[in-house]
Amino acid sequence: MPKPLQDEAKQSPYEKMLQECLRGELRLVNTGLPQSQKRQSKENKLFYLLKEKYPRVVCNDGSTHLFKKNELEYLASMIDTDEQKALSLPMLIELGAIQAEAAIICEGKVEEKVISKALNMPVTCEERRIRIYKPQLALLRRKFKTTTVYVFSPKIVA
Amino acid sequence: MPELIKVRPTKIELVKLKRRLSLSQRVQKIVKDRLSILTMEFLQTARDTVEAKRNLLDELSKLYKALSVAAGYHGYIALEKELIATEVDLKVTAGSRNVAGVRIPSFELMGNVKPMKGYNLVDTSSWLDRAAQLSEESLRAIVELAELQRNFELLAMEINRTKRITNALEYIVIPGLQVTIKYLNMKFEERDREEKARLKRVKVLVARG
Repeated sequence: MPKPLQDEAKQSPYEKMLQECLRGELRLVNTGLPQSQKRQSKENKLFYLLKEKYPRVVCNDGSTHLFKKNELEYLASMIDTDEQKALSLPMLIELGAIQAEAAIICEGKVEEKVISKALNMPVTCEERRIRIYKPQLALLRRKFKTTTVYVFSPKIVA
Repeated sequence: MPELIKVRPTKIELVKLKRRLSLSQRVQKIVKDRLSILTMEFLQTARDTVEAKRNLLDELSKLYKALSVAAGYHGYIALEKELIATEVDLKVTAGSRNVAGVRIPSFELMGNVKPMKGYNLVDTSSWLDRAAQLSEESLRAIVELAELQRNFELLAMEINRTKRITNALEYIVIPGLQVTIKYLNMKFEERDREEKARLKRVKVLVARG
């Protein structure tokens, strides 16, 4: 086994770069989320997004996330007007500690109804999360490409 | 074999290394999750791209057939004369969205595309109407395919990058940290043993004293 050098002060540039890279990875994964303070605002509700010419939300990194109109219309066709006013977009899909599972963060019964209709199966909301498996996640993402985003759980990030 | 990291053999360094190891393991978990999501999205995009391409080819094939029938019916010169007036500006909404840290483009042909019937309806036949309708559908398919192909490329590039990071963490960084931590622990145990032996020796000397 080679002996380590006694001089640690000179940390190699490779090591420094690696540390930066790791920090960057942690920052990168959640940059595409909508700004938290605006998450509950009126602008993010389906009902109001439907009326916009270019339906979009502002993300954490200042960029915009554009929704497709046909997806919004598809979502609107599933629920009534009151529910449209309650549904915040994009829906957040949380990836947690268990790799085979994903959870959809729901603030009310609307998400439950939408997911249930989209997957064509009953789903239940527990602790503000709807738990689904990877095959269902793929199906959901296929239907809602722009109206769902991934969140990497703070439990693993922190 | 993983290489030792160059550090001073002190307890503080050991604590630092343990912290770094824990950070690396967490990052590895995130990167692996991200990689699995990106792969899933990539495969879905690949399937969609194939479908969109097939759809576009079908649309174009139908369009060319309809156009050649219309050309046969009206004649090329008359058809070209009619089609000069049919040019319209297309409006495509271009934006972007984020998929697990990858910013990918999103295109959408504006819903209310002006019907492409700038030609004289009295002088032309329903064959031309059919060709115009099919050309609108082809345009939609082209825009969809453009988006999917770009997404496909970007996701593939990101998967490559993420794989390199995962491999670096799995085969170089984490084993290196583990080996160094093990080496430092062994070094400290060795020091403890030396210390004990020294004390015993001192005790014997004092007892002889």
